[in-house]
Amino acid sequence: MSPDLALHPAVWRASQIGSGTLRTSASGFAALDAQLPGGGWPHGVLTELLLPQPGIGELRLLAPALAALGGGAGGGAGGGAGGGAAGSEPCVMLFDPPASLSAWALAQCGLSTRHWLVVQARAGQGRGGAAGPQPLVWRPNNAPDTAPNIAPAPGLPRGANRLAPLLPAADLLWALEQTLKSGHVGAVLAWLPVNLRADALRRLQLAAQAQAGPVFLFRDALARSRPSAAPLRLLLQPAGVDGLSLRLLKRRGPLLAQPLRLQLPPVLAPQQQAAAEARQRAREQLQRLGPAAGLAAADSAGGQADPAGRQADPADPAAQRLR
Amino acid sequence: MLWLALHLPALSLEAWSATRCAEWAGRPGVLLHEHQVVHADAAALARGVRPGMKRATALALAPDLLQGSADARRDAQALRAVAHVALGFSPSVAWLPPGTPGVAPALVGVRLEVLSCLRYFGGLPALLARLQQALAPLGHQVRLASAPTALGAALLAAWRDDLALGPHSQQPQAPQPLQPPQPLQALQTLLDGLPLGLLAAEQAAALAGMGLHRLADLRQLPRDGLARRFGPALLAAIDQARGEAPEVYRWLTLPPRFASRLELMARADTNAQVLAGARLLLVRLLAWAGARQSRIARFTLVMHHEPRHRHDSNSPTETPLLIAPAQPAADIEHLHSLLAERLGRLPLPAPALELSLRCEHLVVAAAPNGELFASPGSQREGLARLVERLQARLGHDQVQRLVAVADHRPEHATRWLAADPARLGQAAPGTDEALAGARLLGPQPLWLLPQAQPLAERAQLPLHEGRALHLLAGPERLESGWWDACGPAVRDYFIAQAASGALLWIYRHRLAIDEPGSGWFLHGLFA
Repeated sequence: MSPDLALHPAVWRASQIGSGTLRTSASGFAALDAQLPGGGWPHGVLTELLLPQPGIGELRLLAPALAALGGGAGGGAGGGAGGGAAGSEPCVMLFDPPASLSAWALAQCGLSTRHWLVVQARAGQGRGGAAGPQPLVWRPNNAPDTAPNIAPAPGLPRGANRLAPLLPAADLLWALEQTLKSGHVGAVLAWLPVNLRADALRRLQLAAQAQAGPVFLFRDALARSRPSAAPLRLLLQPAGVDGLSLRLLKRRGPLLAQPLRLQLPPVLAPQQQAAAEARQRAREQLQRLGPAAGLAAADSAGGQADPAGRQADPADPAAQRLR
Repeated sequence: MLWLALHLPALSLEAWSATRCAEWAGRPGVLLHEHQVVHADAAALARGVRPGMKRATALALAPDLLQGSADARRDAQALRAVAHVALGFSPSVAWLPPGTPGVAPALVGVRLEVLSCLRYFGGLPALLARLQQALAPLGHQVRLASAPTALGAALLAAWRDDLALGPHSQQPQAPQPLQPPQPLQALQTLLDGLPLGLLAAEQAAALAGMGLHRLADLRQLPRDGLARRFGPALLAAIDQARGEAPEVYRWLTLPPRFASRLELMARADTNAQVLAGARLLLVRLLAWAGARQSRIARFTLVMHHEPRHRHDSNSPTETPLLIAPAQPAADIEHLHSLLAERLGRLPLPAPALELSLRCEHLVVAAAPNGELFASPGSQREGLARLVERLQARLGHDQVQRLVAVADHRPEHATRWLAADPARLGQAAPGTDEALAGARLLGPQPLWLLPQAQPLAERAQLPLHEGRALHLLAGPERLESGWWDACGPAVRDYFIAQAASGALLWIYRHRLAIDEPGSGWFLHGLFA
């Protein structure tokens, strides 16, 4: 009856995934690419990644896309010393990372760090101050021993203080906007706090239109209930060893009800991974039995699972000492 | 020969009120010399103040009058900037500041000879358009005139403001002759209508008393009588203006160093006011650099503060600020933004009364070619400027790049040093060798805590956030750093899984330590 009119690329039906005229770069995970509009991480718009705490595998998720931006480590090494030849690899800028990056780990992931820059905009380490306070993300727990099972406040995930400060450093947003507007940077990764005004995000989204590469914003998972101008929002949660569970909160397309489960490039050796999975299964079984199984049962189960893992290294004196 | 003359009718007032702040924008202003008004701006003239009035009369007419003192040196500095701009268009520029002997005050200005440059600029109208565009940032009112003789051009510029294209390009008022008049004849015809007040300022009253108002009247009188009455200088000027006698000028040469001072109209208490005054100095600096066909490598802005009143006060009398862009630049917006960011971070120790700018370091080289499509080279230059701006605002050490050090201890193996905008994209020496051995190590975490966080222990297992960690991968032993003052690093590293499922990198001290604690530390996260 009604002919299926060819739609303008910037318009899409609610039941379709809109690809539009977006430039994208492949994320390296086929299951994710199938669900992202355009088939990869979009360029020139904000992508928000919400994490319960840093360090659950978000950088390993982005590593294939970042490596592909610049042709990888091989291309970087061939660039030579200065001159025009090295200009092909774009710059990656990180704003306010929660901890320091390790050069060995970046090399192991295949990322060439010659063109990586880190911008620290925290007030404590700013203008004229000497060694500022420790990065606020890693405030040592004040009472770890006395209350081993700290029940978190309802609705607040454990570790909600990890992404303090709550307000952005005054110059962080300015620096982000200048970088996005300049259009000379290949990829931007920024760690923003929870309390961000909606118009600040909208300004960043407008500035990102001049950007030629992807823009990733990392925020605490508390921000999932706040409105955001970013057209792509994902909630990341750890799912086992080397696994990541992704929930697409917002995208240009239909809502995805089920979370995606991705397998990240493994950190552990295969037999260690098998042992870890065995322990995970044992733990899930215990949970199915219910909390009535008791703490003692949990300890014994933990004790049983441990030798299973340790027997992979029988000649390890340190492991035997720990037992 | 084709001469261009630049006449600045309001030079003194503009040089004085260049740093006028926005709150005083509507107030009338006058320049005084020995309590008499010498120059009055438009607002003051509207109130009835006239040059020659006494100061008290002027104040009575306009109680909110801003008063300044006439200063020939200040006018000369402003005019020198105009001359430097003109030097970018022609090598033969004559600079006649106020106070030059033999030059009437109305003929003060800049004269440049452009016939040899016309072909390069593509004709006189194009040259004039570019000249006016180049003079626009200086903020002066400029009247241009062109003529075959320099004095003739200066007279025309002072007299009328519609003769920029020269008498030889004017449509003759008379019925069309068979042949258009020669440029010199056209000039002489025009000059016949010149009022004598411009040519002979002191003798204008005497001449008017004799009924001589225009140059044509003067030319009808016998020459020797004129010379006896009014001096040979007047006759020489008439001959030079009409092209019958040669003119001799000393060409302006550029100084090798730039130094310019600007007195602020009001005391500057905030950095923003200093920046507004510094912009004018930047424009002058760029005019000088443009005349030398070079770019600026670094310059120093010096703020002169109020003089010390107490002999034991140790507030400084001047504050220098060195701006050195990573790449030599001739772009005023870039330099202005760098200056703005640096000034924004600098606390003013005392209010500033005067600013001066010094520049000795220039780079004499061709400017990089502009490009139609962005290429990697231009992108790198744009990135260098971005990094410079970020460093100017956040601090030099806040924009960092990676340097890998060949050390087995993880906290020392990666160092983040301040980025150098001139050397972006170049690996630090030794990084490649240090990273070559990375594949021989065990799996490394992407996030490294700057300081290892101690963990509690329960039942010989480390605790993280109150829950026991499960050790997944066996120990990787590290013993290194025996030369370090805080002791060798003797550790066993494990990969552990937290309750939330994230992988952590923890270590345990192998040697017994005196501090309380279990010896377990959290060092990294596998992001």
